[in-house]
Amino acid sequence: MITFGYALRRLGASVLMLLVLTLLTFALYRAIPANPAGFLVDLSPGAPHSPAAIAKAEKTLGVDRPIWEQYALYLWRLAHGDLGIAFQGTRAVPLSNQRTGQAVGPAVVHAAMVTGSVVVGGALFALLLSVPLGAVAASRPRSLTDRTILVVSLIGICTHPLVVALLLQQFPGRRWGLVPPGNYCPFFGTSQPGPFDFSTLTRAASCGGPTAWASHLILPWITFALFFLAIYTRLVRVRMIEVMDEPFIRTAAAKGASRSRVVRHHALRNALGPVLTLVGMDVGLALGIALYIESVYRLPGLGLTTLGALSGGAGYDLPMILGVVLVIGVVIVTVNFAIDLAVLWMDPRAAQAGARRSVVGRIA
Amino acid sequence: MSSTAATATIDTAAPAAQSPSRLAWRRLRRDRAALVSAGFLIALVLAVFAGAPLLGKLVGHGPNDLFPYAVGISLKPVGPWSTVPDTSLVPGIDEKTFTQTPPPAGTGTTLLVLGADGPLGRDELQRLLYGGRVSLTVAVGATLLALLIGTTLGTLAAFFGGWVDSVVSRFTDLVMAFPVLLLAIVLGSTVSGKVSEVTLGGALNKGVLSLILLIGLFTWFYPARIARSLILSLRRREFVEAAEMIGASDAKIMRTHLFPHVIPALAVWATLAVATNIMLEAGITFLGFGIKLPTTSWGSMLAATWGTVLSPLPYNASSFSPWLTIIPSAAIFFTVLSLTLLGEGLREAFDPRGVR
Repeated sequence: MITFGYALRRLGASVLMLLVLTLLTFALYRAIPANPAGFLVDLSPGAPHSPAAIAKAEKTLGVDRPIWEQYALYLWRLAHGDLGIAFQGTRAVPLSNQRTGQAVGPAVVHAAMVTGSVVVGGALFALLLSVPLGAVAASRPRSLTDRTILVVSLIGICTHPLVVALLLQQFPGRRWGLVPPGNYCPFFGTSQPGPFDFSTLTRAASCGGPTAWASHLILPWITFALFFLAIYTRLVRVRMIEVMDEPFIRTAAAKGASRSRVVRHHALRNALGPVLTLVGMDVGLALGIALYIESVYRLPGLGLTTLGALSGGAGYDLPMILGVVLVIGVVIVTVNFAIDLAVLWMDPRAAQAGARRSVVGRIA
Repeated sequence: MSSTAATATIDTAAPAAQSPSRLAWRRLRRDRAALVSAGFLIALVLAVFAGAPLLGKLVGHGPNDLFPYAVGISLKPVGPWSTVPDTSLVPGIDEKTFTQTPPPAGTGTTLLVLGADGPLGRDELQRLLYGGRVSLTVAVGATLLALLIGTTLGTLAAFFGGWVDSVVSRFTDLVMAFPVLLLAIVLGSTVSGKVSEVTLGGALNKGVLSLILLIGLFTWFYPARIARSLILSLRRREFVEAAEMIGASDAKIMRTHLFPHVIPALAVWATLAVATNIMLEAGITFLGFGIKLPTTSWGSMLAATWGTVLSPLPYNASSFSPWLTIIPSAAIFFTVLSLTLLGEGLREAFDPRGVR
């Protein structure tokens, strides 16, 4: 059983983890040579800038204080639900030390919705297909079906997600024009029209609504699902083969349960617990794959936001990166907690055995 | 007389003693997929390190030579197995027929085995080979670095336990939950500027060392965990106590009594890790945070028709050249597939429960 004390300990550990993450992000920020004043003043050689202007810019950005003070201030604001204002595209408010610009909180939440659309949709595809495929393969080990499924999933594991994304974008997306080759359409409301593209003399039209949302996500979902489908089909297969050897399966068969009932009610339920735990451990991997997908299909999710915050003219956009890191941390913690609850619900023995831990290391 | 005869019968009756490594080697020799993969990998290493300069001598140009005549009027590069005028002059355009003017008289031709690599008209095959050199160096180097750090820390953590163990384990849990790709990119874009200039006297390409450090830094947890769990399970076994009793030092016990038991598992991990690292390198470079042009790697070749994150190339039906994506894709796929098959072959060969 999950006790109140357990939940509290877990919460404490999570908060500690998030603190360490923000601390590491701050430490990195300190290590970089670029001066954040470049976000407000043009620091390129030859540009007119005075030391006074730089000092004022640093004061406006709040980077003139000692780093520990900046960190404490950040935590104080965070505790009040304020994630600050991004450095990129910020402007000083005249005659004060204030600045305006893009608020990190809403921006990060919006980006998380985009990434969430990709990851949740793709993961649903992958899980819904890998469980039956793995179960079918496991029901007759070493048969032709089993071998075919194994070989195809091996090919899936060895194919770089970028390759899948690029080929899907080039052929069904562009060459054959079957599905939109990129860009994101929000589920609610409409997107802003894209920036003017001088090479094609067009701009992406504004779009929105459930149909546009889904059609623009077809290729990202397939890309995401193919990669995890391959991994999880193998996992489900191995687990199912193990479980099918257990005495309780023989008992169920002996008391006259049909084969499909044995598989669905007795074997799958027991096989899926550890697989779910692995889903929790793969959240980080999934976000890495999402980064590839967002870049290729140009979806403004967490990954593309991070890349933008890193490769802007003046460098490291600290508030934005902290925001992304925090969101990812919170998602990882929450998903793992939810999965632990789901595993307990499916397999109460897990409470005694403690959390199963195993490592599946692939990319990202 | 009779005693020697008895010994002889016992010797023939007992099965031939085989060391575990010999046994593993015999099993591996029977695994056809692993053998083919190993052969492919050896051929690949030879092609990439020795074959690339040889090919350059053979066709008479290098990986960075430009052949503007290898690019059509719509900027479509020529396909595989094309001979193009051997000149770096940019062709003029005949305004009446809207075709390229022929090269000056007396210009020889040169062979582009896999065609040209894009609007610049460089040799795709040579870039593939030199890019493979970079990708393989990064992948193997990062794996070795991770093995070095991970095995050392994992062994120390398991052997001494206590706070060393908890610090290593907690830190491992934290970073393993987080998207390594994102961390590597954040770190890579901020602090690796100086390191990427280091080439160790020209032995490495620019940016290779910083990628090795970056990937190694984010993957040492896996060998650390493997070493730690194996050594924890052996730590209190009789042979370790026996060694302690006769006065062997901690270092000696770790080196000669414990470490050999970890090698098979680490070898399997390392083989699979090289595959993973090839993918990771391609990803980081693709996103623009790894190897910088003009040095090529399989990741930057993947991005040839795609562009960069900030400025993606527009799609143009008349210059659509899918082989520019397919060629590096195939190189990555077959290398990763071979490494995976070899790794799984090794795992089965080292499995003590396997057939003799």
